[in-house]
Amino acid sequence: MTWNHDIPPALSGGFEPLSRRSLLRLTAVSGLALTTGCARMFGRREAPEALTYLNMTEDEVRVVTKFTRAVLPTARHGLPDCIDEIPTIKNMDIMVGKMAPTQRELLALGLWVYEYRPMASFKFSRFSKLSDEKAHAYVVAMQEGAFFERGLTTSLKALVTLNYWRDSRTWQALDYWGPVTERWGVRRLGNAPLPMA
Amino acid sequence: MRPINMRREGVAVTQAKDVARDPTLGRQFSIQADVVIVGSGAGGAVMAYELAKAGRKVLVLESGRYWPSAEFTENLGDTLTKVYRDQAAQANTTADALFLEGNCVGGSTVISACVMQRPGDEVFRKWSDELGLKGLGPRELDPYFEQVEGWLHVHTNEAHEVNATAHKVIQGCERMGYSWRPVSRNVKNCALTGHCLAGCPSDRKMSALVTHLPWAAAYGARIFSDTEVSRVLMRNGRATGVEAVIRDPDTGTVVSNVRVDAQVVVLAAGAIHTPLILQRSQAPDRGGNIGRNMAVQPFTQILATFKEDLYGFQGALVGVEVDEFLKSDGFTFYSALAEPEQLMATGEQEAGDEHINFMKSFKRMAGLNAFAIDKGEGQVIWEGDHLSGRKVIKWSPSREDFERITRATAIAARIFFSAGADRVWLPTFQKMHAKNVFELDEMLARVNYGINGIYSYRMNSFTPHGTCRMGLDPYDSVVSADGEVHGVSGLYVADASIFPTPVSSTPQWTVQVLSRYVADRILARAASHFLS
Repeated sequence: MTWNHDIPPALSGGFEPLSRRSLLRLTAVSGLALTTGCARMFGRREAPEALTYLNMTEDEVRVVTKFTRAVLPTARHGLPDCIDEIPTIKNMDIMVGKMAPTQRELLALGLWVYEYRPMASFKFSRFSKLSDEKAHAYVVAMQEGAFFERGLTTSLKALVTLNYWRDSRTWQALDYWGPVTERWGVRRLGNAPLPMA
Repeated sequence: MRPINMRREGVAVTQAKDVARDPTLGRQFSIQADVVIVGSGAGGAVMAYELAKAGRKVLVLESGRYWPSAEFTENLGDTLTKVYRDQAAQANTTADALFLEGNCVGGSTVISACVMQRPGDEVFRKWSDELGLKGLGPRELDPYFEQVEGWLHVHTNEAHEVNATAHKVIQGCERMGYSWRPVSRNVKNCALTGHCLAGCPSDRKMSALVTHLPWAAAYGARIFSDTEVSRVLMRNGRATGVEAVIRDPDTGTVVSNVRVDAQVVVLAAGAIHTPLILQRSQAPDRGGNIGRNMAVQPFTQILATFKEDLYGFQGALVGVEVDEFLKSDGFTFYSALAEPEQLMATGEQEAGDEHINFMKSFKRMAGLNAFAIDKGEGQVIWEGDHLSGRKVIKWSPSREDFERITRATAIAARIFFSAGADRVWLPTFQKMHAKNVFELDEMLARVNYGINGIYSYRMNSFTPHGTCRMGLDPYDSVVSADGEVHGVSGLYVADASIFPTPVSSTPQWTVQVLSRYVADRILARAASHFLS
């Protein structure tokens, strides 16, 4: 591990070494600190499973839905809708179902922080209750925020946008032609011949 | 002389569904073999072929699924979630670096970009002269490299294999006076689809799936997929086999527990999972080296958009490399732009209208990937018991890595600006793109190392190595000069984890060579390992 020279040792002492657990703790504590002082302390609720999403809770789906709308304003660009036409959130839900437990925990915590972090700066509103414009402004602000806010936002964006752009119906707008082997009639060569002894 | 029959397509693989269907096997069964090989990628496949050809009864256990090449869809998003380990989200503890590897029969050779590089002779001289690994000298390894080169159609890209992305890189290098050259790739009659990272459906990429594995099967090797080895069995300082679990790849439910009794065990599960198996097995580790010294070759992608349409995703994925800085600065660049989904793992891709506009510029993009050498200070650890524990990957960029990537980014951006780029997108977690070198330098100055460099640059790794390094001293290494784990007779390692020191070249070719070398050592000691 290397020592950090940009930050006074007094400040960075608690971060060295920064393990996954430390990061989780740091993220959780930061999220909590930012929501302290609000009308009540919010705990993660185990919402009943949504009908269509098997692996994310209703609360999580609400956050992801708002996030998707904020990041992918598809209607303004003549693209297939990011929720009603392209199953972005359903794709993500399937991925979540196959995540390793530690990744799943991290995602749950990240979504919880994303939901309640705006309490401090957006008039006590949860992220999922913001308008699409304000939600977009919040995502942009998080991207320019502290290191863990940047990391969280980048990870969520990667998950959501991957699950949108992987759908072939979105490719026409990019002038990207997708799979070509079959269309070009490329012949399969099969196994390479056994080397001569 | 026995007849050798090889399938024209595909490999005979026993999958979880086959085990579930077979009433004679049940929930628990055992198999006997001369050699059990854990992992079917670059190292495991070569080992399987060499030992099966020598007449040994070989069993290969692969934790991933079997995807015949005919089932590759050329859809990277689908492939990432199905064929890559942990849905391409295998990450370090701080979740800011991804470790991408294939989790399928054929391992990472299936999803590689086909780049084959032989490290410089100075690397092998260091291994043989300084570290005393006499068998790894450049002259000793020459025949091995030549054999792989011939068998896997390793060739230097020809003119038609240099696409528009690569041409932009060449143009920039020519103006800057930087040295570049076409890369070498293991492809036979490349169809120029550009979908290497999603697997090659026409079998032109010479992955293990169409070379060493079917060759090994032709000599009688058996291959099991969906089979995760939990630990190596050892008795009285000797490896006696492995315990494994066969899981349904769709549901994750256990189909069977299997014990393999073998006279030789070869671990070839890659630089992350081989040390984890050794740790779970409580293999002797006098110097505490198992899982340590991991070099990751951190890579990052610098994107540029141009005025004109390039369609830079079409053609051979990797066309040229910029080798000007390898010796002086410790990094190499490769030209490459894959499918649109790939962009999500590199840089900061904006949000809202800016994100859509960014994506719509895809056809005008070119990409340059910086691969840097690092010091080998990463570590993989298995936490908990051998069945229910979890892997932990510890790696953060050192200040030196951070500064190297900053310099690589600055150079790559200048190459693109010299080629006429309108805008260059920096591989940072912050939103950063520059229209000229003045903006570029001002932005790079704003990227700071912060806390252990986390969430600074988006760095990933395709090529970790060195976690069970080879050496003569058991206090300073994990495997001997023969590739055998110190203190355990008959337990060998044959993958990138045995690299004695970090290297800057792409490792596949060297892994295949070292695996062949270890296979020769095993066969040379056959009398002490095998009963017959």
